[in-house]
Amino acid sequence: METLAVSMRNITKIFNGVKANDSVDFDLRKGSIHGLLGENGAGKTTLMNILYGLYQQEEGTISINGREEDISSPVKAIHLGIGMVHQHFMLARPLTVTENVMLGRKSRHGILLDTKETAAELAELSDRYKMGIDPSAKIWQLSVGEQQRVEILTAIYMGAEILILDEPTAVLTPQETEVFFETLRQMRDDGKSIILITHKLEEILEIVDEVTVLRDGKMVGSRRMDGSVTRDELTRMMVGRDVLFQFPPVEKAPGGVKFAFRGLCAKNDKGLPALKDVTLEIREGEVVGLAGVDGNGQKELCEVLTGLRKADSGSITLNGEDVTNLPPWAYIDRKVSHIPEDRHTTGLALDWNLKRNLVLKSFRRPPYVKHGMMQVKAIDAFWKRAQQEYQIKAIDGDEPARALSGGNQQKVILAREIDGNPAVLIANQPTRGLDVGAAEYVRSKLLDARNQGAAVLVVSADLEELLQISDRIAVIYDGEIMGVLPRGADTYALGALMMGKRQEVSVHE
Amino acid sequence: MNKRLRSAVGQVCGTILMLIVALAVGAVLVAISGNSPAEAYLTMLNGAFGSPQKISEVFVKLIPILLMAFGTSVAFRAKLWNIGASGQFIMGSVAATAVALYVQVPIALRVPLSFAAALVAGALWAGIAGLLKVKFNANEVITTLMLNYIATYFLLYLVNGPMQDPSSDLSQSALVPEEMKLTRLFGTYRLHSGIFLLLIVVVIMLFFWRTSLGYRIDLVGQGRKVATYAGLPVDRTIIITMLISGLLSGLAGWIETFGIQYRILDGIEANYGDISNIIALLGELNPVGIIASALFFAVLLVGGASMQRMTDVPYSVVDVVQGLIIIFVVAKVIFKFRRPSWFRRAGARKEAAKNAQ
Repeated sequence: METLAVSMRNITKIFNGVKANDSVDFDLRKGSIHGLLGENGAGKTTLMNILYGLYQQEEGTISINGREEDISSPVKAIHLGIGMVHQHFMLARPLTVTENVMLGRKSRHGILLDTKETAAELAELSDRYKMGIDPSAKIWQLSVGEQQRVEILTAIYMGAEILILDEPTAVLTPQETEVFFETLRQMRDDGKSIILITHKLEEILEIVDEVTVLRDGKMVGSRRMDGSVTRDELTRMMVGRDVLFQFPPVEKAPGGVKFAFRGLCAKNDKGLPALKDVTLEIREGEVVGLAGVDGNGQKELCEVLTGLRKADSGSITLNGEDVTNLPPWAYIDRKVSHIPEDRHTTGLALDWNLKRNLVLKSFRRPPYVKHGMMQVKAIDAFWKRAQQEYQIKAIDGDEPARALSGGNQQKVILAREIDGNPAVLIANQPTRGLDVGAAEYVRSKLLDARNQGAAVLVVSADLEELLQISDRIAVIYDGEIMGVLPRGADTYALGALMMGKRQEVSVHE
Repeated sequence: MNKRLRSAVGQVCGTILMLIVALAVGAVLVAISGNSPAEAYLTMLNGAFGSPQKISEVFVKLIPILLMAFGTSVAFRAKLWNIGASGQFIMGSVAATAVALYVQVPIALRVPLSFAAALVAGALWAGIAGLLKVKFNANEVITTLMLNYIATYFLLYLVNGPMQDPSSDLSQSALVPEEMKLTRLFGTYRLHSGIFLLLIVVVIMLFFWRTSLGYRIDLVGQGRKVATYAGLPVDRTIIITMLISGLLSGLAGWIETFGIQYRILDGIEANYGDISNIIALLGELNPVGIIASALFFAVLLVGGASMQRMTDVPYSVVDVVQGLIIIFVVAKVIFKFRRPSWFRRAGARKEAAKNAQ
């Protein structure tokens, strides 16, 4: 019998009485890519944090290369040849790649630094895996994809033979993902064992040799990916039921232009230009998707369109009225709804209870306020209706928003923003961090808003999602709209635009 | 409902436990000083409740500290750390006294005029800090603290200079006209009609957080981002919050001037500012909690003074107990910010999920 790189047996981890992992078994064969699939909150990251020594399991054993080990800390894990790349990068941005690598270990020259040798070794490794990383580049100069490669490079440099990658493709374009998968294959062929945490079925189908599915902290099963495993089967394992992947097509054609912005320019928080001459029109009953890699001006655009950020030039019109640079409440009064990117600091008052969050924007509006008093009964009624209609899982409306899972928090925001038929709906990353079921639900609600005549702008880094629900897809890169593609556009054309390659596409066309 | 009640009871028990520990440490100190703790605390209780006159004194103290604690809590709910209640109190008393002494209009007009002057002066004194925060992002802890010094020394200058009582060498102003003094309610006891103003404020505060305005102030405390997103004019609300906060301290200044002191004098604010901050935090910024905490402190202050007179135990024991309460309250605030409440409720959630299935 072959020795397993990792064998986790009967792992149980309890947080405050809740079993995040419930006697989970996990086996990683040497030289394989192993997918760890599950919805958000299924316990994938917890399991891997245990393997990496960040958490200690309550029960169960871990064997590395056939020997039972007590992984008491990440230092021990690294010593055992385990490396982990987290979803949020752990890099010091003002330092160079080499310096970041050196932060984690002792110099070979005592108190003097061994910068040169380290840099040379890193360059060699980078070449081997075709990562294209310049060791002397500062982290802040690198794109998100490059930073991710730096993390992987660091792990390998530290001697990782077992590499844990937590949702690595969430920040990558399709093209970058392709390159990234090449790197993974190369590493596998070099005998490294890789664990890929993901909730994307496409990735499992494309690159993984074997998959383990978790649901609600329990192991549902393991499968060799030898071609016999279907997408539907994986979905059922992951979600516990069939999921509707196709939405019914629109019956009603979009109406006239409802919401339009022309020549918008705005700066980001650092005072640098974030939007450059952005022009787009959204018609009544139309969903326009805005694709782009994070940080290309999407957030700034959403803020300008809802009064949260001043436009330096350009105009915004709603139903023919010029609404440029009006204060946020003026947009709220005109029924411009906004699902912000950041649920925690913007979309919700986390310490407030759910009822209050539902009427967050209604402190001037009957029926929730009358004669200067909040109307408890009206608010209670709204909560009861919203909880039912939007299937918000909460003990009661007095629970603080903080206590809810991401999906349920998003449902509270949806209830607030979609209730009362918005004229315009700006949704920035509405399904980020949500599990498949919740994401599907959010998308169906966005479509409901469209069917009721709203002009909808959906910003997302997830192309699958945009292709599914958009009537048209615009692509933003470095604050500019690179192009607008019709429904049913090709992923690769979108990907090229997302990387700012406008010319290439026009040549193809 | 049941669960909420239980958590409220838990909170109250925690606070009471904290007070007991503070008093127990105080008892140890009394014992070290060679006195009997039981006797000291009994004298304290007796000093606060021993006779109708003493009870009247408790309420005399309660009026300013409760008003100022309410004022403080309004700002604290918006996470505006207005620690300038004493400065706002002083400016209120100064303005009120100035009107009473120098504005030569009929008394019937002078009373409301001095009342308005006190409220406006207190409000504006806090409003300055609000404006500085909004315009220059100046930290309100620093500005309100510094405004306290300005107010204190301004008062000192006035009572030794332009407003000094011509018939005395003491650092105090002349007495306000007899007709402007607040009526004493029970013969010679000092408790005066200002208590009715306090009652009105108590009623308002019990409802305040359910008003639209209270909601907006609360929302500012939830963070600028979410408040702006909700369509709240945050800067304006910050200034309004500070004005209301200062107004209540100015009101306390007016009542103290016309109910007790009948003039302004050096030291008129008697540490009320600091105490009101503690009361607001001890009461968890919640009106009912604040009322209970203010009562506790009124008893502690009046009883402590009596304890010093009747026994050999120095008044500093009261200061120590106060200091300990501050430490516990602050530690608790930190503790609360560190451990979000969902942590505690995680178990309950699981249960509910099970029941729902």
